Amino acid sequence: MRPTPRAVAAPRAPWLLIVPSLVLALFIISYPIFNIVYQSLHDVSRFGQIRGFSGWQNFYNVLDDPMFMSVLKNTIVWTICVVVGTVAISVPVALVLNQDFYGRGIARTIVMLPWSVSLTMTAVVWRWAFNDDYGMVNVTLQRLGVIAGPIHWLATPQYAFPVEIAVGILVSIPFTTTILLGGLSSVPGDIYEAARIDGANAWQQFRRLTLPLLRPFINMAVLLNVIYVFNSFPIIWVMTQGGPDESTHILVTWLYELGFRLGRPGEAAAVSLVMLVILFAFSLVYLKLQSLRGGQAEGDAA
Amino acid sequence: MNRKLKRSLLCWLVLSPLVVAVLFPFAVMFFTSFKPASEVFVYPARWLPVHWRWQNYVDMWEAANFGVALRNSIEVSVLSTLLALAVSLPAAYALARFPFRGRGLYRQFLLVTQMLSPILLVVGLFRLAAMIPFGDGNLVDTKLSVIVSYAAFNIAFAVWMLSSYFQTVPRDLEESAWLEGCSRTGAVFRVFLPLAVPAMVVTAIFTFISAWNEFAVVYTLIRSPENKTLTVQVTDMVAGKYTVEWQLVMAATLAATLPVSVVFAWLQRYLVKGLALGAVK
Repeated sequence: MRPTPRAVAAPRAPWLLIVPSLVLALFIISYPIFNIVYQSLHDVSRFGQIRGFSGWQNFYNVLDDPMFMSVLKNTIVWTICVVVGTVAISVPVALVLNQDFYGRGIARTIVMLPWSVSLTMTAVVWRWAFNDDYGMVNVTLQRLGVIAGPIHWLATPQYAFPVEIAVGILVSIPFTTTILLGGLSSVPGDIYEAARIDGANAWQQFRRLTLPLLRPFINMAVLLNVIYVFNSFPIIWVMTQGGPDESTHILVTWLYELGFRLGRPGEAAAVSLVMLVILFAFSLVYLKLQSLRGGQAEGDAA
Repeated sequence: MNRKLKRSLLCWLVLSPLVVAVLFPFAVMFFTSFKPASEVFVYPARWLPVHWRWQNYVDMWEAANFGVALRNSIEVSVLSTLLALAVSLPAAYALARFPFRGRGLYRQFLLVTQMLSPILLVVGLFRLAAMIPFGDGNLVDTKLSVIVSYAAFNIAFAVWMLSSYFQTVPRDLEESAWLEGCSRTGAVFRVFLPLAVPAMVVTAIFTFISAWNEFAVVYTLIRSPENKTLTVQVTDMVAGKYTVEWQLVMAATLAATLPVSVVFAWLQRYLVKGLALGAVK
Protein backbone atom coordinates (compact mmCIF):
# COMPACT_ATOMS: atom_id res chain seq x y z
CA MET A 1 0.00 0.00 0.00
CA ARG A 2 2.91 2.38 -0.70
CA PRO A 3 1.34 5.68 -1.87
CA THR A 4 2.29 6.49 -5.42
CA PRO A 5 4.04 9.80 -6.07
CA ARG A 6 1.01 11.22 -7.84
CA ALA A 7 -1.36 10.33 -5.03
CA VAL A 8 0.83 12.26 -2.64
CA ALA A 9 1.06 15.17 -5.03
CA ALA A 10 -2.73 15.63 -5.03
CA PRO A 11 -3.98 15.23 -1.46
CA ARG A 12 -7.22 16.96 -2.30
CA ALA A 13 -8.18 14.49 -5.04
CA PRO A 14 -9.78 11.88 -2.77
CA TRP A 15 -11.90 14.52 -1.09
CA LEU A 16 -13.10 15.85 -4.42
CA LEU A 17 -14.11 12.32 -5.33
CA ILE A 18 -15.98 11.86 -2.08
CA VAL A 19 -17.78 15.19 -2.00
CA PRO A 20 -20.74 14.32 -4.27
CA SER A 21 -21.76 11.33 -2.17
CA LEU A 22 -21.21 13.26 1.04
CA VAL A 23 -23.34 16.17 -0.12
CA LEU A 24 -26.22 14.00 -1.27
CA ALA A 25 -26.24 11.88 1.88
CA LEU A 26 -25.96 14.89 4.16
CA PHE A 27 -28.70 16.71 2.28
CA ILE A 28 -31.20 13.88 2.71
CA ILE A 29 -30.19 13.07 6.26
CA SER A 30 -29.29 16.31 8.00
CA TYR A 31 -32.44 18.34 7.43
CA PRO A 32 -34.79 15.53 8.48
CA ILE A 33 -32.75 15.03 11.65
CA PHE A 34 -32.81 18.74 12.40
CA ASN A 35 -36.53 18.81 11.65
CA ILE A 36 -37.26 15.83 13.88
CA VAL A 37 -35.41 17.45 16.77
CA TYR A 38 -37.29 20.70 16.10
CA GLN A 39 -40.72 19.03 15.91
CA SER A 40 -40.06 16.97 18.98
CA LEU A 41 -39.49 20.15 21.01
CA HIS A 42 -42.57 21.94 19.68
CA ASP A 43 -46.30 21.62 19.86
CA VAL A 44 -47.22 20.47 16.33
CA SER A 45 -50.77 20.36 14.96
CA ARG A 46 -51.96 17.31 13.07
CA PHE A 47 -51.35 19.20 9.81
CA GLY A 48 -47.77 19.93 10.72
CA GLN A 49 -48.18 23.53 11.85
CA ILE A 50 -45.79 24.51 14.61
CA ARG A 51 -47.79 26.02 17.45
CA GLY A 52 -44.99 26.97 19.79
CA PHE A 53 -42.11 25.70 21.83
CA SER A 54 -43.13 23.00 24.27
CA GLY A 55 -39.83 21.84 25.75
CA TRP A 56 -39.81 18.18 26.69
CA GLN A 57 -43.61 17.91 26.61
CA ASN A 58 -43.70 15.54 23.60
CA PHE A 59 -41.21 13.25 25.30
CA TYR A 60 -43.24 13.29 28.52
CA ASN A 61 -46.39 12.47 26.54
CA VAL A 62 -44.67 9.55 24.83
CA LEU A 63 -43.10 8.16 27.98
CA ASP A 64 -46.35 8.56 29.94
CA ASP A 65 -48.39 6.90 27.23
CA PRO A 66 -49.55 3.51 28.54
CA MET A 67 -48.64 2.11 25.11
CA PHE A 68 -44.98 3.06 25.42
CA MET A 69 -43.79 0.37 27.81
CA SER A 70 -45.57 -2.44 25.97
CA VAL A 71 -44.31 -1.19 22.61
CA LEU A 72 -40.77 -0.93 23.95
CA LYS A 73 -41.01 -4.44 25.37
CA ASN A 74 -42.34 -5.74 22.03
CA THR A 75 -39.50 -4.03 20.17
CA ILE A 76 -36.90 -5.66 22.39
CA VAL A 77 -38.56 -9.09 22.11
CA TRP A 78 -38.90 -8.66 18.34
CA THR A 79 -35.29 -7.59 17.81
CA ILE A 80 -33.73 -10.24 20.06
CA CYS A 81 -35.91 -13.11 18.81
CA VAL A 82 -35.44 -12.29 15.13
CA VAL A 83 -31.69 -11.65 15.33
CA VAL A 84 -30.90 -14.63 17.57
CA GLY A 85 -33.17 -16.91 15.53
CA THR A 86 -31.63 -15.69 12.29
CA VAL A 87 -28.04 -16.21 13.38
CA ALA A 88 -28.85 -19.58 15.00
CA ILE A 89 -30.30 -20.83 11.71
CA SER A 90 -27.86 -19.08 9.37
CA VAL A 91 -24.67 -20.53 10.86
CA PRO A 92 -25.59 -24.17 10.19
CA VAL A 93 -27.14 -23.22 6.84
CA ALA A 94 -23.95 -21.45 5.78
CA LEU A 95 -21.86 -24.42 6.93
CA VAL A 96 -24.01 -26.77 4.86
CA LEU A 97 -23.95 -24.49 1.83
CA ASN A 98 -20.17 -24.37 2.10
CA GLN A 99 -19.98 -28.16 1.64
CA ASP A 100 -19.46 -29.69 -1.75
CA PHE A 101 -22.69 -31.50 -2.63
CA TYR A 102 -24.98 -32.16 -5.58
CA GLY A 103 -27.34 -29.27 -6.28
CA ARG A 104 -25.44 -26.77 -4.14
CA GLY A 105 -26.01 -23.99 -6.66
CA ILE A 106 -29.75 -24.56 -6.56
CA ALA A 107 -29.73 -24.78 -2.76
CA ARG A 108 -27.88 -21.48 -2.48
CA THR A 109 -30.29 -19.81 -4.86
CA ILE A 110 -33.33 -21.06 -2.95
CA VAL A 111 -31.94 -19.92 0.40
CA MET A 112 -31.21 -16.46 -1.03
CA LEU A 113 -34.58 -16.13 -2.76
CA PRO A 114 -36.53 -14.27 -0.01
CA TRP A 115 -34.04 -11.44 -0.33
CA SER A 116 -35.30 -10.64 -3.80
CA VAL A 117 -38.89 -10.22 -2.69
CA SER A 118 -40.05 -6.94 -1.24
CA LEU A 119 -40.79 -7.26 2.49
CA THR A 120 -44.16 -5.73 1.72
CA MET A 121 -45.05 -8.39 -0.81
CA THR A 122 -43.78 -11.14 1.48
CA ALA A 123 -45.96 -9.81 4.26
CA VAL A 124 -48.99 -9.61 1.96
CA VAL A 125 -48.53 -13.22 0.86
CA TRP A 126 -48.02 -14.50 4.40
CA ARG A 127 -51.06 -12.57 5.58
CA TRP A 128 -53.10 -14.48 3.02
CA ALA A 129 -51.36 -17.76 3.82
CA PHE A 130 -52.28 -17.32 7.51
CA ASN A 131 -55.91 -16.50 6.70
CA ASP A 132 -58.25 -18.22 9.19
CA ASP A 133 -60.48 -20.31 6.94
CA TYR A 134 -58.96 -20.14 3.48
CA GLY A 135 -55.22 -19.73 4.14
CA MET A 136 -52.85 -22.46 3.02
CA VAL A 137 -51.11 -22.73 6.41
CA ASN A 138 -54.25 -23.93 8.14
CA VAL A 139 -55.24 -26.05 5.13
CA THR A 140 -51.86 -27.79 5.09
CA LEU A 141 -51.67 -28.29 8.85
CA GLN A 142 -55.20 -29.75 8.87
CA ARG A 143 -54.39 -32.07 5.97
CA LEU A 144 -51.32 -33.30 7.82
CA GLY A 145 -53.45 -33.82 10.91
CA VAL A 146 -51.36 -31.45 13.04
CA ILE A 147 -54.36 -29.32 14.03
CA ALA A 148 -58.03 -30.20 14.28
CA GLY A 149 -59.63 -26.91 13.31
CA PRO A 150 -58.45 -23.60 11.84
CA ILE A 151 -56.27 -21.48 14.11
CA HIS A 152 -56.95 -17.74 14.07
CA TRP A 153 -53.28 -16.91 13.72
CA LEU A 154 -53.31 -13.19 13.12
CA ALA A 155 -56.41 -12.42 15.18
CA THR A 156 -55.03 -13.94 18.37
CA PRO A 157 -52.52 -11.82 20.32
CA GLN A 158 -50.42 -14.76 21.52
CA TYR A 159 -50.03 -16.18 17.97
CA ALA A 160 -49.78 -13.04 15.84
CA PHE A 161 -46.47 -11.81 17.21
CA PRO A 162 -44.64 -15.17 17.03
CA VAL A 163 -45.88 -15.57 13.44
CA GLU A 164 -44.44 -12.17 12.56
CA ILE A 165 -41.18 -13.05 14.28
CA ALA A 166 -40.97 -16.25 12.22
CA VAL A 167 -41.51 -14.29 9.01
CA GLY A 168 -38.90 -11.80 10.19
CA ILE A 169 -36.39 -14.60 10.70
CA LEU A 170 -37.13 -16.12 7.30
CA VAL A 171 -36.47 -12.87 5.44
CA SER A 172 -33.29 -12.10 7.42
CA ILE A 173 -31.62 -15.46 6.75
CA PRO A 174 -30.41 -14.70 3.17
CA PHE A 175 -28.43 -11.59 4.10
CA THR A 176 -26.91 -13.24 7.18
CA THR A 177 -26.03 -16.43 5.32
CA THR A 178 -24.42 -14.35 2.59
CA ILE A 179 -22.10 -12.63 5.05
CA LEU A 180 -21.23 -15.94 6.76
CA LEU A 181 -20.58 -17.69 3.43
CA GLY A 182 -18.22 -14.91 2.52
CA GLY A 183 -16.45 -15.54 5.80
CA LEU A 184 -16.24 -19.28 5.24
CA SER A 185 -14.82 -18.81 1.75
CA SER A 186 -11.88 -16.94 3.30
CA VAL A 187 -11.04 -19.91 5.56
CA PRO A 188 -8.14 -21.84 4.04
CA GLY A 189 -8.93 -25.53 3.56
CA ASP A 190 -5.54 -26.85 4.65
CA ILE A 191 -6.01 -25.93 8.31
CA TYR A 192 -8.77 -28.53 8.46
CA GLU A 193 -6.41 -31.01 6.92
CA ALA A 194 -3.94 -30.25 9.68
CA ALA A 195 -6.65 -30.52 12.33
CA ARG A 196 -7.74 -33.91 11.02
CA ILE A 197 -4.19 -35.17 11.15
CA ASP A 198 -4.04 -34.01 14.77
CA GLY A 199 -7.14 -36.10 15.42
CA ALA A 200 -9.73 -33.33 15.91
CA ASN A 201 -13.31 -34.52 15.37
CA ALA A 202 -15.95 -32.54 13.47
CA TRP A 203 -17.31 -30.77 16.55
CA GLN A 204 -13.83 -29.80 17.76
CA GLN A 205 -13.02 -28.50 14.30
CA PHE A 206 -16.16 -26.36 14.43
CA ARG A 207 -15.56 -25.08 17.99
CA ARG A 208 -11.84 -24.46 17.69
CA LEU A 209 -11.39 -23.48 14.05
CA THR A 210 -14.55 -22.48 12.23
CA LEU A 211 -16.28 -20.51 14.98
CA PRO A 212 -13.29 -18.30 15.88
CA LEU A 213 -12.64 -17.62 12.20
CA LEU A 214 -16.30 -16.79 11.64
CA ARG A 215 -16.53 -14.54 14.70
CA PRO A 216 -15.85 -11.21 12.94
CA PHE A 217 -18.47 -12.09 10.33
CA ILE A 218 -21.02 -13.12 12.96
CA ASN A 219 -20.38 -9.86 14.82
CA MET A 220 -20.90 -7.90 11.63
CA ALA A 221 -24.10 -9.84 10.88
CA VAL A 222 -25.47 -9.27 14.40
CA LEU A 223 -24.78 -5.54 14.30
CA LEU A 224 -26.32 -5.00 10.87
CA ASN A 225 -29.26 -7.27 11.61
CA VAL A 226 -30.05 -5.48 14.86
CA ILE A 227 -30.15 -2.21 12.94
CA TYR A 228 -32.33 -3.60 10.15
CA VAL A 229 -34.69 -5.58 12.38
CA PHE A 230 -35.11 -2.82 14.93
CA ASN A 231 -36.14 -0.53 12.04
CA SER A 232 -38.23 -3.09 10.20
CA PHE A 233 -41.62 -1.70 9.29
CA PRO A 234 -43.48 -3.54 6.49
CA ILE A 235 -43.93 -7.01 8.03
CA ILE A 236 -45.87 -5.87 11.07
CA TRP A 237 -47.56 -2.97 9.32
CA VAL A 238 -48.95 -5.13 6.52
CA MET A 239 -49.73 -8.29 8.50
CA THR A 240 -51.47 -6.84 11.56
CA GLN A 241 -51.03 -3.02 11.60
CA GLY A 242 -50.06 -3.40 15.26
CA GLY A 243 -53.24 -5.32 16.11
CA PRO A 244 -54.97 -7.32 17.49
CA ASP A 245 -55.58 -5.07 20.51
CA GLU A 246 -52.42 -3.10 19.71
CA SER A 247 -50.49 -6.17 20.87
CA THR A 248 -47.99 -6.32 18.00
CA HIS A 249 -46.85 -2.71 17.76
CA ILE A 250 -43.11 -2.10 17.79
CA LEU A 251 -41.55 1.37 17.97
CA VAL A 252 -41.44 1.94 14.18
CA THR A 253 -45.06 0.99 13.56
CA TRP A 254 -46.20 3.00 16.57
CA LEU A 255 -44.13 5.94 15.36
CA TYR A 256 -45.84 5.73 11.98
CA GLU A 257 -49.25 5.46 13.56
CA LEU A 258 -48.60 8.50 15.77
CA GLY A 259 -47.25 10.59 12.91
CA PHE A 260 -49.54 9.74 10.04
CA ARG A 261 -52.70 8.17 11.53
CA LEU A 262 -53.29 9.71 14.94
CA GLY A 263 -52.07 13.19 13.96
CA ARG A 264 -49.41 13.58 16.65
CA PRO A 265 -46.29 14.39 14.58
CA GLY A 266 -44.47 16.00 17.51
CA GLU A 267 -44.71 12.82 19.52
CA ALA A 268 -43.77 10.72 16.47
CA ALA A 269 -40.63 12.83 16.15
CA ALA A 270 -39.90 12.22 19.82
CA VAL A 271 -40.21 8.45 19.28
CA SER A 272 -37.81 8.72 16.31
CA LEU A 273 -35.23 10.37 18.54
CA VAL A 274 -35.70 7.82 21.32
CA MET A 275 -35.10 5.10 18.71
CA LEU A 276 -32.01 6.83 17.37
CA VAL A 277 -30.56 7.10 20.86
CA ILE A 278 -31.23 3.41 21.51
CA LEU A 279 -29.59 2.41 18.21
CA PHE A 280 -26.53 4.56 18.73
CA ALA A 281 -26.10 3.40 22.30
CA PHE A 282 -26.37 -0.21 21.21
CA SER A 283 -23.91 0.22 18.32
CA LEU A 284 -21.34 2.00 20.50
CA VAL A 285 -21.53 -0.57 23.28
CA TYR A 286 -21.41 -3.43 20.79
CA LEU A 287 -18.46 -2.09 18.83
CA LYS A 288 -16.65 -1.30 22.08
CA LEU A 289 -17.22 -4.83 23.36
CA GLN A 290 -16.00 -6.26 20.06
CA SER A 291 -12.80 -4.24 20.06
CA LEU A 292 -12.18 -5.18 23.70
CA ARG A 293 -12.67 -8.84 22.95
CA GLY A 294 -10.70 -8.56 19.70
CA GLY A 295 -7.81 -6.99 21.62
CA GLN A 296 -7.95 -9.80 24.16
CA ALA A 297 -7.93 -12.46 21.46
CA GLU A 298 -4.89 -10.89 19.86
CA GLY A 299 -3.25 -10.79 23.27
CA ASP A 300 -3.97 -14.49 23.71
CA ALA A 301 -2.48 -15.27 20.34
CA ALA A 302 0.67 -13.37 21.21
CA MET B 1 -18.53 -40.75 -5.56
CA ASN B 2 -20.81 -42.69 -3.26
CA ARG B 3 -19.65 -40.55 -0.36
CA LYS B 4 -20.59 -37.39 -2.15
CA LEU B 5 -24.04 -38.77 -2.87
CA LYS B 6 -24.54 -39.57 0.79
CA ARG B 7 -23.32 -36.14 1.80
CA SER B 8 -25.66 -34.53 -0.73
CA LEU B 9 -28.67 -36.33 0.73
CA LEU B 10 -27.69 -35.27 4.23
CA CYS B 11 -27.19 -31.64 3.18
CA TRP B 12 -30.55 -31.48 1.45
CA LEU B 13 -32.18 -33.13 4.46
CA VAL B 14 -30.77 -30.46 6.80
CA LEU B 15 -31.86 -27.69 4.44
CA SER B 16 -35.29 -29.11 3.69
CA PRO B 17 -37.32 -27.23 6.37
CA LEU B 18 -35.86 -23.93 5.20
CA VAL B 19 -36.39 -24.81 1.54
CA VAL B 20 -40.05 -25.57 2.26
CA ALA B 21 -40.50 -22.32 4.19
CA VAL B 22 -38.90 -20.30 1.37
CA LEU B 23 -40.86 -21.90 -1.44
CA PHE B 24 -44.16 -21.95 0.47
CA PRO B 25 -45.12 -18.32 -0.26
CA PHE B 26 -44.22 -18.75 -3.93
CA ALA B 27 -46.52 -21.77 -4.13
CA VAL B 28 -49.28 -19.83 -2.37
CA MET B 29 -48.90 -16.95 -4.83
CA PHE B 30 -48.80 -19.19 -7.85
CA PHE B 31 -51.78 -21.43 -7.10
CA THR B 32 -54.01 -18.71 -5.64
CA SER B 33 -53.41 -16.47 -8.63
CA PHE B 34 -54.97 -19.03 -10.98
CA LYS B 35 -58.07 -19.78 -8.91
CA PRO B 36 -61.47 -18.40 -9.87
CA ALA B 37 -62.98 -16.26 -7.08
CA SER B 38 -65.45 -19.04 -6.27
CA GLU B 39 -62.60 -21.42 -5.46
CA VAL B 40 -60.61 -18.98 -3.34
CA PHE B 41 -63.27 -18.65 -0.67
CA VAL B 42 -64.39 -22.21 -0.31
CA TYR B 43 -64.19 -24.25 2.86
CA PRO B 44 -62.34 -26.53 3.22
CA ALA B 45 -59.86 -24.82 0.90
CA ARG B 46 -57.53 -26.79 -1.34
CA TRP B 47 -54.10 -26.11 -2.80
CA LEU B 48 -54.66 -26.62 -6.50
CA PRO B 49 -57.20 -24.77 -8.59
CA VAL B 50 -59.85 -27.00 -10.24
CA HIS B 51 -60.26 -24.56 -13.11
CA TRP B 52 -57.13 -22.65 -14.03
CA ARG B 53 -58.23 -19.08 -14.64
CA TRP B 54 -55.62 -17.14 -16.66
CA GLN B 55 -58.08 -14.29 -16.92
CA ASN B 56 -57.10 -13.32 -13.34
CA TYR B 57 -53.96 -11.69 -14.68
CA VAL B 58 -55.96 -9.56 -17.10
CA ASP B 59 -58.40 -8.58 -14.35
CA MET B 60 -55.54 -7.83 -11.99
CA TRP B 61 -53.91 -5.55 -14.56
CA GLU B 62 -57.06 -3.39 -14.48
CA ALA B 63 -57.85 -3.68 -10.77
CA ALA B 64 -54.34 -2.90 -9.58
CA ASN B 65 -53.68 -0.21 -12.17
CA PHE B 66 -50.67 -2.43 -12.74
CA GLY B 67 -49.31 -0.80 -15.91
CA VAL B 68 -48.99 2.64 -14.31
CA ALA B 69 -47.51 1.26 -11.09
CA LEU B 70 -45.05 -0.86 -13.09
CA ARG B 71 -43.88 2.14 -15.07
CA ASN B 72 -43.47 4.17 -11.87
CA SER B 73 -41.49 1.39 -10.19
CA ILE B 74 -39.17 1.13 -13.19
CA GLU B 75 -38.74 4.88 -13.45
CA VAL B 76 -38.02 5.38 -9.74
CA SER B 77 -35.69 2.38 -9.50
CA VAL B 78 -33.68 3.15 -12.65
CA LEU B 79 -33.20 6.84 -11.94
CA SER B 80 -32.34 6.38 -8.27
CA THR B 81 -29.84 3.65 -9.19
CA LEU B 82 -28.16 5.90 -11.76
CA LEU B 83 -27.94 8.76 -9.28
CA ALA B 84 -26.60 6.52 -6.51
CA LEU B 85 -23.96 5.06 -8.85
CA ALA B 86 -22.93 8.47 -10.16
CA VAL B 87 -22.01 9.71 -6.69
CA SER B 88 -20.77 6.38 -5.31
CA LEU B 89 -18.34 5.50 -8.10
CA PRO B 90 -15.84 8.29 -7.43
CA ALA B 91 -16.13 7.80 -3.68
CA ALA B 92 -15.52 4.06 -3.98
CA TYR B 93 -12.53 4.70 -6.23
CA ALA B 94 -11.08 7.10 -3.68
CA LEU B 95 -11.57 4.57 -0.87
CA ALA B 96 -9.97 1.78 -2.87
CA ARG B 97 -7.00 3.72 -4.25
CA PHE B 98 -5.98 6.59 -1.98
CA PRO B 99 -4.76 6.28 1.58
CA PHE B 100 -6.04 9.67 2.74
CA ARG B 101 -6.78 11.31 6.06
CA GLY B 102 -10.41 11.09 7.06
CA ARG B 103 -10.88 7.78 5.30
CA GLY B 104 -11.93 6.07 8.51
CA LEU B 105 -14.21 8.98 9.35
CA TYR B 106 -15.93 8.70 5.98
CA ARG B 107 -16.43 4.96 6.50
CA GLN B 108 -17.99 5.63 9.90
CA PHE B 109 -20.25 8.21 8.33
CA LEU B 110 -21.42 5.56 5.86
CA LEU B 111 -22.14 3.15 8.70
CA VAL B 112 -24.17 5.84 10.46
CA THR B 113 -26.23 6.48 7.32
CA GLN B 114 -26.98 2.76 7.32
CA MET B 115 -28.29 3.13 10.83
CA LEU B 116 -30.56 6.03 9.91
CA SER B 117 -33.03 3.97 8.00
CA PRO B 118 -35.61 5.99 6.07
CA ILE B 119 -38.36 4.93 8.43
CA LEU B 120 -36.70 6.70 11.37
CA LEU B 121 -36.44 9.89 9.38
CA VAL B 122 -39.76 9.58 7.62
CA VAL B 123 -41.44 12.35 9.63
CA GLY B 124 -38.58 14.74 8.83
CA LEU B 125 -38.24 13.51 5.25
CA PHE B 126 -41.87 14.42 4.68
CA ARG B 127 -41.27 17.95 6.01
CA LEU B 128 -38.18 18.28 3.81
CA ALA B 129 -40.18 17.37 0.72
CA ALA B 130 -42.98 19.73 1.78
CA MET B 131 -40.49 22.58 2.18
CA ILE B 132 -38.87 22.45 -1.27
CA PRO B 133 -40.93 24.24 -3.93
CA PHE B 134 -41.36 22.27 -7.14
CA GLY B 135 -43.66 23.02 -10.07
CA ASP B 136 -46.95 24.34 -8.73
CA GLY B 137 -46.50 22.94 -5.25
CA ASN B 138 -43.73 21.12 -3.45
CA LEU B 139 -41.90 17.82 -3.63
CA VAL B 140 -44.55 15.85 -1.73
CA ASP B 141 -46.24 13.42 -4.09
CA THR B 142 -43.51 13.66 -6.72
CA LYS B 143 -41.35 10.83 -7.94
CA LEU B 144 -38.32 13.12 -7.76
CA SER B 145 -38.45 13.19 -3.97
CA VAL B 146 -38.53 9.40 -3.82
CA ILE B 147 -35.70 9.06 -6.35
CA VAL B 148 -33.36 11.39 -4.47
CA SER B 149 -34.15 9.74 -1.11
CA TYR B 150 -33.50 6.24 -2.45
CA ALA B 151 -30.23 7.32 -4.04
CA ALA B 152 -29.06 8.86 -0.77
CA PHE B 153 -29.96 5.85 1.34
CA ASN B 154 -28.25 3.49 -1.12
CA ILE B 155 -24.89 5.28 -1.12
CA ALA B 156 -23.47 3.32 1.80
CA PHE B 157 -24.24 -0.04 0.23
CA ALA B 158 -23.02 1.01 -3.23
CA VAL B 159 -19.75 2.46 -1.97
CA TRP B 160 -19.15 -0.60 0.18
CA MET B 161 -19.73 -3.06 -2.66
CA LEU B 162 -17.88 -1.04 -5.30
CA SER B 163 -14.79 -0.26 -3.26
CA SER B 164 -14.40 -3.87 -2.17
CA TYR B 165 -14.42 -4.95 -5.82
CA PHE B 166 -12.18 -2.08 -6.89
CA GLN B 167 -9.55 -3.26 -4.44
CA THR B 168 -9.34 -6.50 -6.39
CA VAL B 169 -8.52 -4.69 -9.66
CA PRO B 170 -4.71 -4.78 -9.81
CA ARG B 171 -3.12 -1.39 -9.36
CA ASP B 172 -0.23 -2.33 -11.69
CA LEU B 173 -2.45 -2.04 -14.74
CA GLU B 174 -3.10 1.64 -14.10
CA GLU B 175 0.50 2.27 -13.10
CA SER B 176 1.82 0.78 -16.31
CA ALA B 177 -0.58 3.03 -18.22
CA TRP B 178 0.95 6.05 -16.47
CA LEU B 179 4.40 4.91 -17.53
CA GLU B 180 3.19 4.89 -21.10
CA GLY B 181 2.30 8.54 -20.74
CA CYS B 182 -1.34 8.26 -19.81
CA SER B 183 -2.59 10.80 -17.27
CA ARG B 184 -4.03 9.57 -13.99
CA THR B 185 -7.55 10.50 -15.12
CA GLY B 186 -6.94 8.96 -18.51
CA ALA B 187 -5.82 5.71 -16.91
CA VAL B 188 -9.00 5.63 -14.86
CA PHE B 189 -11.20 5.97 -17.89
CA ARG B 190 -9.22 3.79 -20.31
CA VAL B 191 -7.88 1.05 -18.05
CA PHE B 192 -9.71 0.99 -14.72
CA LEU B 193 -13.36 1.61 -15.61
CA PRO B 194 -13.60 -1.08 -18.32
CA LEU B 195 -12.32 -3.59 -15.76
CA ALA B 196 -14.78 -2.33 -13.15
CA VAL B 197 -17.84 -2.73 -15.35
CA PRO B 198 -18.93 -6.09 -13.88
CA ALA B 199 -18.76 -4.68 -10.34
CA MET B 200 -20.79 -1.67 -11.43
CA VAL B 201 -23.42 -3.82 -13.08
CA VAL B 202 -23.79 -6.04 -10.02
CA THR B 203 -23.99 -3.09 -7.64
CA ALA B 204 -26.48 -1.36 -9.90
CA ILE B 205 -28.74 -4.39 -9.97
CA PHE B 206 -28.78 -4.74 -6.20
CA THR B 207 -29.44 -1.04 -5.76
CA PHE B 208 -32.23 -1.38 -8.30
CA ILE B 209 -33.77 -4.28 -6.39
CA SER B 210 -33.69 -2.48 -3.07
CA ALA B 211 -35.38 0.55 -4.64
CA TRP B 212 -37.90 -1.71 -6.36
CA ASN B 213 -38.78 -3.31 -3.03
CA GLU B 214 -38.81 -0.24 -0.79
CA PHE B 215 -42.04 0.63 0.94
CA ALA B 216 -41.97 3.20 3.77
CA VAL B 217 -40.71 6.18 1.77
CA VAL B 218 -43.09 5.86 -1.19
CA TYR B 219 -45.93 5.03 1.16
CA THR B 220 -45.34 8.33 2.96
CA LEU B 221 -44.31 10.68 0.17
CA ILE B 222 -46.61 9.56 -2.64
CA ARG B 223 -50.32 10.24 -2.42
CA SER B 224 -51.89 10.15 -5.88
CA PRO B 225 -52.58 6.85 -7.70
CA GLU B 226 -50.76 7.94 -10.86
CA ASN B 227 -47.46 8.19 -8.92
CA LYS B 228 -47.71 5.03 -6.83
CA THR B 229 -45.22 2.20 -7.24
CA LEU B 230 -45.94 -1.52 -7.18
CA THR B 231 -45.29 -2.11 -3.47
CA VAL B 232 -47.73 0.60 -2.41
CA GLN B 233 -50.26 -0.32 -5.08
CA VAL B 234 -50.36 -3.94 -3.92
CA THR B 235 -50.63 -2.93 -0.26
CA ASP B 236 -53.55 -0.67 -1.17
CA MET B 237 -55.37 -3.70 -2.56
CA VAL B 238 -55.15 -5.32 0.88
CA ALA B 239 -55.07 -2.59 3.51
CA GLY B 240 -58.33 -1.36 4.97
CA LYS B 241 -60.48 -3.34 2.53
CA TYR B 242 -63.46 -5.24 3.85
CA THR B 243 -63.29 -7.84 1.10
CA VAL B 244 -59.94 -8.56 -0.49
CA GLU B 245 -59.83 -10.24 -3.88
CA TRP B 246 -56.94 -12.45 -2.94
CA GLN B 247 -56.64 -14.18 -6.32
CA LEU B 248 -55.97 -10.78 -7.94
CA VAL B 249 -53.64 -9.69 -5.15
CA MET B 250 -51.59 -12.87 -5.53
CA ALA B 251 -51.45 -12.40 -9.31
CA ALA B 252 -50.15 -8.88 -8.73
CA THR B 253 -47.52 -9.92 -6.17
CA LEU B 254 -46.31 -12.74 -8.39
CA ALA B 255 -46.11 -10.51 -11.46
CA ALA B 256 -44.23 -7.86 -9.46
CA THR B 257 -41.89 -10.38 -7.82
CA LEU B 258 -40.98 -13.00 -10.38
CA PRO B 259 -38.86 -10.91 -12.79
CA VAL B 260 -36.79 -9.53 -9.92
CA SER B 261 -36.39 -12.97 -8.33
CA VAL B 262 -35.13 -14.46 -11.58
CA VAL B 263 -32.49 -11.75 -12.03
CA PHE B 264 -31.55 -12.06 -8.37
CA ALA B 265 -31.21 -15.83 -8.53
CA TRP B 266 -28.84 -15.41 -11.43
CA LEU B 267 -26.69 -12.81 -9.67
CA GLN B 268 -26.66 -13.80 -6.01
CA ARG B 269 -23.21 -15.42 -6.15
CA TYR B 270 -21.61 -12.03 -6.85
CA LEU B 271 -23.24 -10.64 -3.74
CA VAL B 272 -21.56 -13.25 -1.55
CA LYS B 273 -18.19 -12.22 -2.93
CA GLY B 274 -18.72 -8.47 -2.72
CA LEU B 275 -20.20 -8.32 0.77
CA ALA B 276 -17.57 -10.66 2.14
CA LEU B 277 -14.74 -8.56 0.77
CA GLY B 278 -16.36 -5.41 2.12
CA ALA B 279 -17.13 -6.85 5.53
CA VAL B 280 -13.56 -7.49 6.55
CA LYS B 281 -11.73 -4.59 4.93
